[in-house]
Amino acid sequence: MKLATVQSAPAASRRNRSAVLLRIATAAIAAGAFIADTIDPNDISYPLLYVVVVLLAARFCYGRNLVFVAAGCLALLVLSYLISPPIGPTEDALLRMSIRGTVIAVTAYLVLQSQSAQAGEREKAALLDLTQDTIFVRNMDDVITYWNRGAAELYGWSAEEAVGRVTHDLLKTRFPAPLTAINAELHSLGRWDGELVYTKRNGSEVAVASRWALQRDRQGNPTSVLETNNDITERKRAENALQLAQAELAHVARMSTLGELAASIAHEINQPLAAIVNGAGAGLRWLDRQPPDLDEARQMLTRILKDGNRAADVIGRIRALVRKSPVKMDRLAINDVVLDVIALARSDIERNRAVLRTRLADDLPPIQGDRVQLQQALLNLVVNAIEAMRDHEPRELLITSGNDEAQNVVVTVHDSGPGLDPETVGRIFQSFFTTKADGMGMGLSICRSIVEAHGGQLSARPNEPRGARFEIALPREQAQARHAADTSKAAALTIPSYNA
Amino acid sequence: MRVAIGARLRVPKLKRKAVIAVVDDDESVRETTKGLIRSVGFSAEAFGSAEDFLASHHLGRTDCLIADVNMPGMSGLDLHERLAGAGKTIPTILITAYPNERIRMRALNAGVRCYLPKPFAEGDLLGCLRAALGNGTSSC
Ligand SMILES: Nc1ncnc2c1ncn2[C@@H]1O[C@H](COP(=O)(O)OP(=O)(O)OP(=O)(O)O)[C@@H](O)[C@H]1O
Ligand SMILES: [Mg+2]
Repeated sequence: MKLATVQSAPAASRRNRSAVLLRIATAAIAAGAFIADTIDPNDISYPLLYVVVVLLAARFCYGRNLVFVAAGCLALLVLSYLISPPIGPTEDALLRMSIRGTVIAVTAYLVLQSQSAQAGEREKAALLDLTQDTIFVRNMDDVITYWNRGAAELYGWSAEEAVGRVTHDLLKTRFPAPLTAINAELHSLGRWDGELVYTKRNGSEVAVASRWALQRDRQGNPTSVLETNNDITERKRAENALQLAQAELAHVARMSTLGELAASIAHEINQPLAAIVNGAGAGLRWLDRQPPDLDEARQMLTRILKDGNRAADVIGRIRALVRKSPVKMDRLAINDVVLDVIALARSDIERNRAVLRTRLADDLPPIQGDRVQLQQALLNLVVNAIEAMRDHEPRELLITSGNDEAQNVVVTVHDSGPGLDPETVGRIFQSFFTTKADGMGMGLSICRSIVEAHGGQLSARPNEPRGARFEIALPREQAQARHAADTSKAAALTIPSYNA
Repeated sequence: MRVAIGARLRVPKLKRKAVIAVVDDDESVRETTKGLIRSVGFSAEAFGSAEDFLASHHLGRTDCLIADVNMPGMSGLDLHERLAGAGKTIPTILITAYPNERIRMRALNAGVRCYLPKPFAEGDLLGCLRAALGNGTSSC
């Protein structure tokens, strides 16, 4: 593997000159060591210059070549011994020479080892440059220490520009959760993955699937974070478009069904109402006559009675129109339902520039329920929250799950909107009560029917410090099984759903 | 909705009792509207459909027509347009349980005097009636 390095011409020639100088200097030191050692074999320091020679040679000789250099030094050492005048006993001189030789050989060995380790690192770095993915490393202060070519291509900053910068300053990272929570997970599990939004050098945003791995030293202390990112901007865009289309479709379907229902209810009720109002007016006039025409008045009162009953029948028919179908009870984790709804509502949330936070308890017992209906119930609350915050900044949507004192599983939707209006709060759960120009007033009433059919309760209260809070409390699995058994004696567990 | 019960209205003094035709397929609405009109001193006839009214001998001596818009067969607006087309325009008040802005505009453009959503206030109907009779009938 070869690292392609591009350099300017003057820099290259400067580098060449110093390389030549280094070689000359190394050779000169070797020669000096040989001469000095030959002339004065007593001085222990001259042969140690060979160590310096090996170390210097390591700068320009690699592998086999360095072995040659070390072997040359050893040869010079032996040559000096052979040609220099003998001093002292032969054994002493041999021992001295072999110690020196060993020092040179050990030095050469260590240098060779470190050279091969460095080559490995270089090869790894070059490999990282080959991948399409962006990879960078940052230390525990979030300062970038390595930046591969993929990162340079995606974000627009070269390695020279990026290394040394604080990651989230450079990239203006938008996190899906608070950074402290992400870091907590990184430190406890050693890894994290999720979706981030970064800002490129040209100012455009890029959504990435990000994986972080915590690197530790031998003592286990965290040293750096390795981060790899995949550009998923296109995928996200397609997903968003799909979600938007789905949500719109669902909304249109719901609105048109309810719209038709409302029109037919209005018609059916308005006919008898018109008759009652007319009849009462006429009846009063007949009574007001001098003398009163009791016969005519009685006829009108009879009509009124009939039409009063007729209106009541209409209400009865609406109840029948609201088809009763059994709930499909499955074993569910409430958090899955919450995540389904977040996926459904995400584009709505983003379009309204609301900030979504979640706090989901992870040790909740399962519940029994109809997943689609519970999604619909929760979605109505989320949509209401988003609509409530339309003209109220900051727009903070919080969805939490947990347990209440009665061991119910509870999902709560908190918003930072205007809160519940004390004038109307008593009526918000009624069908067709709405304060919105384009509202149907069915959201909460459907939500309540669904929750109650699951043996649960829907409640509303003020949120702190502002806004409203809607809470769905559902019995945990065991308790609910009893509830279902209880009600099945009296009547089958039923749930309204609207059919056009 | 405003419901003015017992509102006192001046009954126009006419030489003969004006005749008002009520055309509505809903029996209750038809009969109580007729009752209301009679209670203020007009004479009224009720018909269950536009076709019945056209076939009746009352057609020629009707001073004002109160017709429902949504009826099986001919609608109240069709009836008005048909009479106008035949040169026998009768001052018309349309009543409807499906108020619709587009139809209201069409009706008013076609010369309909009033377009009242059901349920309507007694005062509104009688006001319309008086206006329709005031300048549409020969006070013979
Ligand atoms: N989060 C909230 N904050 C403040 N008021 C709310 C909130 N949610 C509901 N309301 C009030 O309750 C009313 C009824 O809500 P509901 O969801 O039943 O109907 P809607 O949202 O008006 O219409 P739709 O049928 O489209 O849902 C709303 O019009 C609004 O006044
Ligand atoms: Mg709603």
